[in-house]
Amino acid sequence: MAASQKLHSVRRDWRERDVRVVLAALMIAVATVATIALFASQLQRTLVSSASTFLAADRQLDVENGRPIPDSWLEEAHSRGLRTGQMVEFSTMVFGGDQFQLVSVKAVSDEYPLRGDLEIQTREAGPRETVRSGPPPGEVWINPRLLRLLGLTPGDTLEVGNEKLTVSALLVREPDGGFSMSALAPRVMMHKDDVAATGVIQTGSRVEYVYLFAGDTDALESFGAWLKPRLEPSHEWRSVRDGETLSRSLQRAERFLLLGGSLAVLLAAVAVAVASRQYAMSQRDTVALLKTLGLSGPGIARLYLRRLAIWGIVGIIGGLAIALPLFWVLAGMLGNLLDRPVELYFDPNAVFPALATAVVSLFAFAYPPIRRLRDVPAMRVLRSQPTGERRELWRDGLIAVAAIFGLVWLYARELDLVVALLGGLVLLLLALGLVGGALIAGLRRIRGGGNAWRLALVGLYRHRGASLSQMAVFGMTIMLATTLLLVRTSLLDDWQAQLPEKAPNHFLINIAPDAKNDVADFWRERGHPLENLYPMVRGRLTELNGVPVKEAVGSDRNIGALNRELNLTWMATLPDDNKIVKGQWFAPDTVSGVSVEARLADRLGLKLGDRLTFTVGSETVTEPVTSFRTVQWDSMKPNFYMAFPPGGGLEGLPATWITSFYLPPDQKTELNTFTRQFPTISVLEIDHIIARIQDIIRQVTLAIETILGMILAAALVVMAAVVSATLRDRQREGALLRTLGGRQSLLVRSTMLEFGVLGGFAGIVGVLAAEAAVYALQYRMFEGSFSWHWSVIVPVPLASALLVSLFGRWQLGPVLSVSPMLLLRRLE
Amino acid sequence: MNQMTNPNADHCTPMLRVAGLSHRVPLETDTLTILQGVNLEINRGESVAIVGRSGSGKTTLLGLLAGLDTPSEGTVELDGAMISQLSEDKRAELRASRVGFVFQSFQLLPALSALENVMLPLELAGMDNPDKRARELLERVGLGERLNHTPRQLSGGEQQRVAIARAFACEPAVLFADEPTGNLDNRTGQAVSDLLMALNREQGTTLVMVTHDEHLAARCARQLHIEAGQLSEPTAEESVS
Ligand SMILES: Nc1ncnc2c1ncn2[C@@H]1O[C@H](COP(=O)(O)OP(=O)(O)O)[C@@H](O)[C@H]1O
Ligand SMILES: [Mg+2]
Repeated sequence: MAASQKLHSVRRDWRERDVRVVLAALMIAVATVATIALFASQLQRTLVSSASTFLAADRQLDVENGRPIPDSWLEEAHSRGLRTGQMVEFSTMVFGGDQFQLVSVKAVSDEYPLRGDLEIQTREAGPRETVRSGPPPGEVWINPRLLRLLGLTPGDTLEVGNEKLTVSALLVREPDGGFSMSALAPRVMMHKDDVAATGVIQTGSRVEYVYLFAGDTDALESFGAWLKPRLEPSHEWRSVRDGETLSRSLQRAERFLLLGGSLAVLLAAVAVAVASRQYAMSQRDTVALLKTLGLSGPGIARLYLRRLAIWGIVGIIGGLAIALPLFWVLAGMLGNLLDRPVELYFDPNAVFPALATAVVSLFAFAYPPIRRLRDVPAMRVLRSQPTGERRELWRDGLIAVAAIFGLVWLYARELDLVVALLGGLVLLLLALGLVGGALIAGLRRIRGGGNAWRLALVGLYRHRGASLSQMAVFGMTIMLATTLLLVRTSLLDDWQAQLPEKAPNHFLINIAPDAKNDVADFWRERGHPLENLYPMVRGRLTELNGVPVKEAVGSDRNIGALNRELNLTWMATLPDDNKIVKGQWFAPDTVSGVSVEARLADRLGLKLGDRLTFTVGSETVTEPVTSFRTVQWDSMKPNFYMAFPPGGGLEGLPATWITSFYLPPDQKTELNTFTRQFPTISVLEIDHIIARIQDIIRQVTLAIETILGMILAAALVVMAAVVSATLRDRQREGALLRTLGGRQSLLVRSTMLEFGVLGGFAGIVGVLAAEAAVYALQYRMFEGSFSWHWSVIVPVPLASALLVSLFGRWQLGPVLSVSPMLLLRRLE
Repeated sequence: MNQMTNPNADHCTPMLRVAGLSHRVPLETDTLTILQGVNLEINRGESVAIVGRSGSGKTTLLGLLAGLDTPSEGTVELDGAMISQLSEDKRAELRASRVGFVFQSFQLLPALSALENVMLPLELAGMDNPDKRARELLERVGLGERLNHTPRQLSGGEQQRVAIARAFACEPAVLFADEPTGNLDNRTGQAVSDLLMALNREQGTTLVMVTHDEHLAARCARQLHIEAGQLSEPTAEESVS
């Protein structure tokens, strides 16, 4: 075939409505899947770079109480194109202004921080400066509280071990400061090269070496894989995802993107399947004619295969032509939202699922009905003959299910997700088959009648074949869109609950018992009453049922909580966001027992009644475990692994108090007054971190809304495609009904009613199937619990009824606007 | 009840009265005149054949007579109602109760069975037991065994018989047939036209039939000729006086 002829045939194809629908479905399929995948991959990048500042790097290798790692490991990282940096953390006494003070030192290399920045002041209460590196050798930056404790001013000297270092700035914020309250001792930041000269680190000192890595995601992954087998028990390879605060949100967001993408794949496949089936039907007469003209069955198959291939290419190119600019716009929106330019990242891998979707749906859904065309008897030209299609339909169905499964699997690689979605779909089709069958059987009894209702019901019965398959597609579409809507709502609600508008953004630590009331008064006077003021005692968990705890749980398990001091507290009432999962909270007047955080309890293998021994300074405390409780670590409130009753085991031990509260940005200067009045109290500012997290949540929300929008748009297109599949029949019918004396209004009303019933019914079944799928997804993937979503159960079927009846009305448009005479001429 | 649907309309008024009827359609550059100054009266129970060559305007005239389209000029009065001045809905109402159609290309709905096709006008007219009446009619046209077959499973002659059953379903006052045998071979055409004439006689329907088949035309009481959009009646003087 000459090129010009080919072109001609594509152009001729385009003039056929069914071909246009197939091509449109293909383009939308490619466009949605590619946009979602591109955007998801872009988002992952920006999210990780937003979140990476929490580590001051993309990855950290922590070595607790061990030796520095071999240089060859860092060389390996460099050879993979990664940037590295180092930190050494330890506690020591420093001397300055004639006083000693225990401090927590962080010595950093020149590269620190690889991600994020630091805030310093050159004088107390002076302006804050943002810098991208730590202090140079010979200098230290210290926490403002330390400055006050030692009575120093910037420019003075601080002695760390054998070294005299100049205090050149006050350290207000470090990116990886986190809000671990273990940093009770004030911070001193110095250069790593000065550490050796201080002579502070001896063999056996408690030192933490932290190695920072940043670079390309692929390089990080491959380096991580290289590193894994070499890690020792004291080593921990960490990414932001492993952090307490963000991991859950990020993982859930990623899963949502996966879910959205999978739904896009499904919808696209459905659209292509519907459109191409319709095309195949419309081609039967043409094929029969070609056969009478002498074209063989294989010849016909070749003809249509070539056509499919051309469509595939056109669909892919067209789809990408939509996806790329759309992605560009979305990335721009992301940049606006974040108030910083976002580096565009076209992930070539992200395009692959889109191409696979196009090719697979074309050949798994479009080809079978078209292939069957070669079996169309030539006799059909003269007389239509019923063909034995049943068995082939089964085979087509199996191919389609396998293809859908394969596609979603390819896309998501999550068995749970695939099973939940396909399970929901199968349930839906079963329900539709049963209920739809019953409905049709009921409708069969309705006979005649001039009013719109009866005509509509008769119409449903008359078009039962088309009605059932349209209902199935509407039901599927509604189920998929509703599933996404529900999951989105639950995610956003969750995040909202986690970080409400006025989430606490400042911690006060180290409040002496006698200062407690003054501190509370200070903030109450300024309109910020302290709500969660907790006592805190630092202690180590040393024995479990009288056995040293490391022996008791097995030394092969490296449990961080056993290597450091824990924050112990006492409280009379359980905090709102804690939940008892086992045992009983302390009854009033109880003075014995300890309540343990559930996950730690799990890792330690604790049972109720186990006796825990804590060492606090030189004292020991032994109490039985009376309850396990869950803790919202990301709630920005003081949280504790171990809680005792008031007057219980911690009675009489040295305690300080801790609290968190919300301070609006415009009142930050109050902190200066506060620290002057209470120089020994540490202020931990986490407003920056919260702003970051909210930033991330905003990005994720945008992504989710966008994807939901795209899916809904795709759903609309699928529904339109399905409705338009019967367009010609409907128009012929409309024309004839008018000729036979049907009033326009009757026609409109009965058509809208017919489609409305169909849409409403599909809506009901779709919503119920969505509930089932959401239940499965929540249960397996999003850790939620099931409840009926009344917010969709009623409105979605109504909206679906309305929408589908509008589709029906739209279909009728041309039938109403011209005279019956012209219609009949056109349809001839 | 208004006059146009009044079944007891004066028996002296003609079933159809057409005066100064012209029809023009706009083309890309100029307008095409399809019908020009047509005047015509058809009495109740009369059977009239309109004969003319293909493209002479027969279908257009029929459509105007039946109120399927509105003329550019002139009036059409059907059963006492000025249909050329009625709204589309009123004309539809009139068609539902008074008019039947048979088309050259059958115009059956492919999705519906023979029975359902015949039931359609009965349902539109809001008749009771459309099912029963449709069965009777299909038996009357000899298709009692093919009730559930779809048009694609029927031959042309069979399809046209379904169409005839449908046309007579509501006992129309006037039946318009547009080349009812045009797509059929001679013998089948003969059988179909026999059926048409027989039912027409049984029900006393006024028949307006377009055809280029002289034999079929000869079976009608009156023959009109149409050429280039102008109507002439060779024996006009005799039949009027
Ligand atoms: N809506 C229209 N637009 C353009 N041409 C028309 C239209 N309706 C009819 N014609 C033309 O008018 C002429 C008469 O048509 P028609 O009444 O169908 O003829 P007949 O039925 O006698 O064969 C034909 O040439 C036809 O092409
Ligand atoms: Mg004609």
